Amino acid sequence: MEKRTEESAVTQPFVDKIINNVEKVVVGKREEIELSLIAMLSGGHVLLEDVPGVGKTMMVRAIAKSLGADFKRIQFTPDLLPSDVTGVSVYNQQTMDFVFRKGPIMSNVVLADEINRTSPKTQAALLEALEEGSVTTDGETRELNKPFFVMATQNPIEYGGTYPLPEAQLDRFLFKFKIGYPTRHEELEVLNRVEKRHPIEDLEEVLTLEELLGMQKDVLDVYVDETVKTYIISLVNNTRKHHAVYLGASPRASIALMKAGQAYAYMQGRDYVVPDDIKYLAPYALSHRVLLSSDAKLSNLTNDRVVKDIVAQVTVPVKKEAFK
Amino acid sequence: MKRSAEKTKHTFVHFLVYALGFLLVWEWLRPIPVVTNTGDIEVFVLFALFSFLMIFMKIPLYVMIPLLFAGSIYAIHLVFGEGSFLTREGGGASIRLFFEDVAYNFSLIASWNLEVLTDPFRTLLVLLLLSLVAYLIYFWIFHIKRIFFFLFATVVYVAVLDTFTAVDASMAIVRIVVIGFFLVSLLHMLSVQAKERKIGRRSASFMSTAWLYSLVFMILAATTVGYAAPKMEPQWSDPVPAFERWVTGEGTGSGGGIRRVGYGDNDERLGGGFVQDENPVFYAETDQPGYWRGESKHEYTGHGWVSEPDYRESETVYGEAVNYRMYTGDVETTAHTASLEMVEGAGFPNLFYPGQITALNTDGMTLTVNGDASDVTPQFYTDVVGGEVTSRTAAEDDDIRLTSYSVDYGYPSFDISSLELEEPQDPDFITGRFLQLPDELPERVVELAEEITEDADNRYEMAVAVEQYFRQNDFEYATSGIPVPEEGQDYVDQFLFESRIGYCDNYSTSMAVLLRAVDVPTRWVKGFTDGEPVETLDDDRQRYEVTNGNAHSWVEVYFPETGWVPFEPTQGFNNNVDFTQETEDVDVNSEDDQDQADIDRPDMPLEEDMMAPDDSDIDEGGAGAGGGGTGTGLSAGDWLSPKPILISIVALVLVMIMYEKKHRILNRYFLFHYKLFGNDARFTNAYHRALWLLDNEGIPRAEGETLREYARRVDHITGTMAMGRLTERYERMTYGGREEERNWREDKASWEELVNSLKF
Repeated sequence: MEKRTEESAVTQPFVDKIINNVEKVVVGKREEIELSLIAMLSGGHVLLEDVPGVGKTMMVRAIAKSLGADFKRIQFTPDLLPSDVTGVSVYNQQTMDFVFRKGPIMSNVVLADEINRTSPKTQAALLEALEEGSVTTDGETRELNKPFFVMATQNPIEYGGTYPLPEAQLDRFLFKFKIGYPTRHEELEVLNRVEKRHPIEDLEEVLTLEELLGMQKDVLDVYVDETVKTYIISLVNNTRKHHAVYLGASPRASIALMKAGQAYAYMQGRDYVVPDDIKYLAPYALSHRVLLSSDAKLSNLTNDRVVKDIVAQVTVPVKKEAFK
Repeated sequence: MKRSAEKTKHTFVHFLVYALGFLLVWEWLRPIPVVTNTGDIEVFVLFALFSFLMIFMKIPLYVMIPLLFAGSIYAIHLVFGEGSFLTREGGGASIRLFFEDVAYNFSLIASWNLEVLTDPFRTLLVLLLLSLVAYLIYFWIFHIKRIFFFLFATVVYVAVLDTFTAVDASMAIVRIVVIGFFLVSLLHMLSVQAKERKIGRRSASFMSTAWLYSLVFMILAATTVGYAAPKMEPQWSDPVPAFERWVTGEGTGSGGGIRRVGYGDNDERLGGGFVQDENPVFYAETDQPGYWRGESKHEYTGHGWVSEPDYRESETVYGEAVNYRMYTGDVETTAHTASLEMVEGAGFPNLFYPGQITALNTDGMTLTVNGDASDVTPQFYTDVVGGEVTSRTAAEDDDIRLTSYSVDYGYPSFDISSLELEEPQDPDFITGRFLQLPDELPERVVELAEEITEDADNRYEMAVAVEQYFRQNDFEYATSGIPVPEEGQDYVDQFLFESRIGYCDNYSTSMAVLLRAVDVPTRWVKGFTDGEPVETLDDDRQRYEVTNGNAHSWVEVYFPETGWVPFEPTQGFNNNVDFTQETEDVDVNSEDDQDQADIDRPDMPLEEDMMAPDDSDIDEGGAGAGGGGTGTGLSAGDWLSPKPILISIVALVLVMIMYEKKHRILNRYFLFHYKLFGNDARFTNAYHRALWLLDNEGIPRAEGETLREYARRVDHITGTMAMGRLTERYERMTYGGREEERNWREDKASWEELVNSLKF
C-alpha cells in the first residue's frame, strides 16, 4: 500500500490526543495508528500481515493503554483450542457449579498474534466473535466488552506451517495493512527511546472508555451523502467486474467502507464524508476482500494493484444536476 | 505554464492524419483548373505539400518563414520565370522581378487598387493562402482535434462545383468520403488517446489495431455498398438554372509569358515541330493585356485551316461605325487603348488588338511600303467573316507593313448566364460556315466529341468540357517531335488518338473540330499571347514585349446572344478573358451579326507574307501560328481575383486568432455571465462551469480523481488557492448536504480569481 503523501489532517481533539500518545511509543507509524483508530471508532477490526518484531504489539498496547482499556494478547499456535480463546466453564467443587472462566477475548483490546498458525476451528471461534460481538460457549451467549477491538496479525502466507484464513473470514476484518520496517532514521529514534526504559511503561491514559464509546456514537452521526454512497457502490461493484478478479467484494465491503469513511471524516473534524475519505480508505478496506483469478496471479498481479487500478478508474461523482 | 497538448510527440498516426488533411486540401485544388482556366496546378499542390511538411515537422518560425518565402519565389519562378532557377538569367531574374513586383503591388494594395495586381503577386497571395491553410489544418487536427467542419466544407465545395460547373466530381466525392471517414475516426482515436494520456493512463499515441481493422473494414464496406447500390434518378427538377447566376464563380484568365515561334498566314498544312524564337516582334503599351488577335479561319481541311475572307472597306478605322463586331451589345466591355510598336524589320499589314477594336488612331501611325518608310495613308479593310482588320495601298502588290499604331478597344467580360442558353439558335450564316467539317473526318472524332460533352447541359458547358478534356487527360505539351500527318491522315485524328503530343495548333484545331462535331459553331483564331510585361508606366499601364514565341492560336465559340467567345484549350496557357455573373446592360451601339453578314462588300485578297522574320519557321515546321514554349509558360495567377484572396487571408488569420484565443473569449464570457447572473442558488452551476472551463483549457479532471485532488492540482498549475476554496465550499454543499451554507459574495471572488488565472 502506498503511503499518503500529505500530512494527516486529524483535527478531532480526542483522537489527536490518542495518536500523539501512541506516537510516544511507536515511531513513524502515524498512518497505521490512524487506521487502527478508524477501525476502532467504527467498531471494526484490523488484520496486519507482517513479520514479527516491527511493533505491532507495541502499537496495540499503546492504544489500549491510552484508553485505559483492558488489553489481552493471544498467541495462536497449532494446538490452541477454541475454548482457549473464548473461555471455558470449569466445575467449582466448592460451589458445586460450573463457573465460566473468561477467555482472553473477553477484553477491550485484543492482539491475536499469528492467527494463521492455528487450526481453522480456533480461527472460526475468533472470527465469529469479531462479527457477532458475542461468544457462545456451553449454549450460553455472552456479550463481549464494549468497546471491543481486535488486531490480528498473520505471517505472510508463503511462510510454512500456516492455515491460510478462508476468504469468508478475511471479510470480517475492516482493514488489512502492513506496518513495515521503520526507516533508518526512525529505527535510530526507536533505539534512543528504549535505551534506558521502555516508554510504554510511562504511557498515561488520555481518554476513558466512556469517552471512546461516545465517540463511536458520534461517528454514526457523520453524514454520508447519496453521491458518496454512489461512489462507494461504484468502487465495490467494479471489484466484481474487474477482469483479474475471480470473486469481488461483498456488500459487507460497502458497509465497511462507508463506516470507515464516517470514522475518518469524524477524525478530521468533519461531519460529512467526502469522496477523498473513501478513496483513501478503499485500498485498505477492499484489497483483502477480492480474490484474484489464477491467471491474474500468474501474471504477478496483486490485490493491492487491482484495487488501486479500480480506484484510479472509477469516476468520482459530482452533483447530478450538473448542466449540459 | 505549458498546455499538455503541446508536449505530445508526433507519431506515425499523427503523420497519417495530417497527410489525410493534405489530401483534402488537394481535393480543393483539383477542380480549380477546370473552373477557372488556371494553368497547371501542380505547382500549387507541391507548394501546399511543402508547407504541410514544414508545419508538421515543427520547424521554428524563423526558419520556416524564410523557407516558405524561398519556396514561393521558386514556385513563382516555375510559373512565370524561364530557364533554370539556379542561373542568373533564370532564378536571378525571377528573384529580382519578384521583389520589384511585390513592392509595386504593395503600392497598389495601399491605394486599394486591387483589380490591377499583377499575376505573380496574385500567385504569391494564393501561395500565402495555401500555407495558412496548411497551418489551419494543422491547428484543426492537432489542437482542436476536429476536422468535420472542413470535411463538410469540402463536400459542399465539390458538390457545388459538380452541380454548377463542368467539374465532374463523382470520383472526388468517393475520395473525400473515404479520406473523411479515416480522418474523422483516426482523429477521434487520437483524441481518446490524448485524454488517456492527460490522466496518465497512456504514455503515447499508437495505432490501435482494433481501430484500424474495423475502420478499414467499415469504410470498405460502406464505400462498396455506396458505389454498387442502385441510385435513384434525380427526383427534383434541375435547380441549377435558377441558382447558377449566383453560384458560378468569377473566372479571370491570366496571361503568362508564352513563347511562340511566329505569326504567318499559311495554315493549310499544320503539324511538325518548330524551333523556338524569342526575338521580339513588337512592344505594346496597355493597361489591359489580352491575347493580341490577328485573324481567324473557318474552314478545316483535314490538314489545316483556310478561309474565305470577306473584306469591307473601312473609312478610317473605325470612328463611327464598326464594321465587324465580335460581341453583341449585351456583352459588357471596358474601353482601353493600346499602342503597338514593331521592332526593326517586323511589321504586319493587319492590326493586332485584344477584344473588340473600336477605333484606330491614325495620328502617329507609321508604316513601311516595300521595306521603306512611307507616309501614304493606307486603306483599311475589315474581314467580316474572320474579324481581321488589314491595310492596303492603292497598288495591290505593295508589301505594306504597319510599324506603329494605337488602337482603342473594348475588353469584354462575359456573363456566364447568358452563355448557358438552353437551346441556342444560330443564324444561318453561322451554321453555314462555322460548322463545316471535312467529309473524311474519322467517325471516332465525332464519337469522342459526343462522349466528352455527354454531361454538358448547354453550349458553354460543352465548350468548357472540351477545353478541359486536354488538361485532364494525358496530353503532352511539346514543340518538337510532333509528327506531321501522313497523306490521307486527319490532323486532329492523329493528335487525339495517336500522338497526343503537340502545341497550340494541335489543341486549338482539335477543340474547334470536336465542338463542330457536336454542332457548336467554332473558328480558329491566330495572334499573339499578351507578352511579357517589361516596364511599368504611368496610369497603371505596362509595356509588354511580344516575341515570335508568343505567336499562338486558340478557339472562338459562337454564342447566339453573346457573339464570339474565346477559349483556350492549350495546356499551360490562359487567355485573359473575364467570365462574370453580372447581367448589367452596357449600351454599345452594335450591329447584329446578321447585319454584318448581309453587308456586301468586295473581297480583299489576303496579303501573302505577313511577317518576314517568321518565314524560316514556317518553312521549317510548317507551323503557321505555331505554338511554342519551354514549359515555363504556366500561368496561374488570378483564378481568384485578388480581393477575395486578400479578404480570405485576413479572414483566415482572424479565425485562427479566434481559435487560439477561444478559451480566453469563453472565459471572458463566463466571467461576465456570472458577474451579472451569479447568485447563491447558482453556485453549484458556477462550480460545474469552472470544471468545464478547466477541461477546455486542457486541465481535465482525471478518471478517479476526487475534486479535492483535482483542486490541489489546479491550484498548483494556476498558482492560486481559488479552486481549493471553491471546492471546499462545493464539498460542504454537495457532500455535506448543507445547501444553506451558500455565500456567493465570497465565492464570486474565488471564482473570478480562478477564471482570471486561466491565462495561458
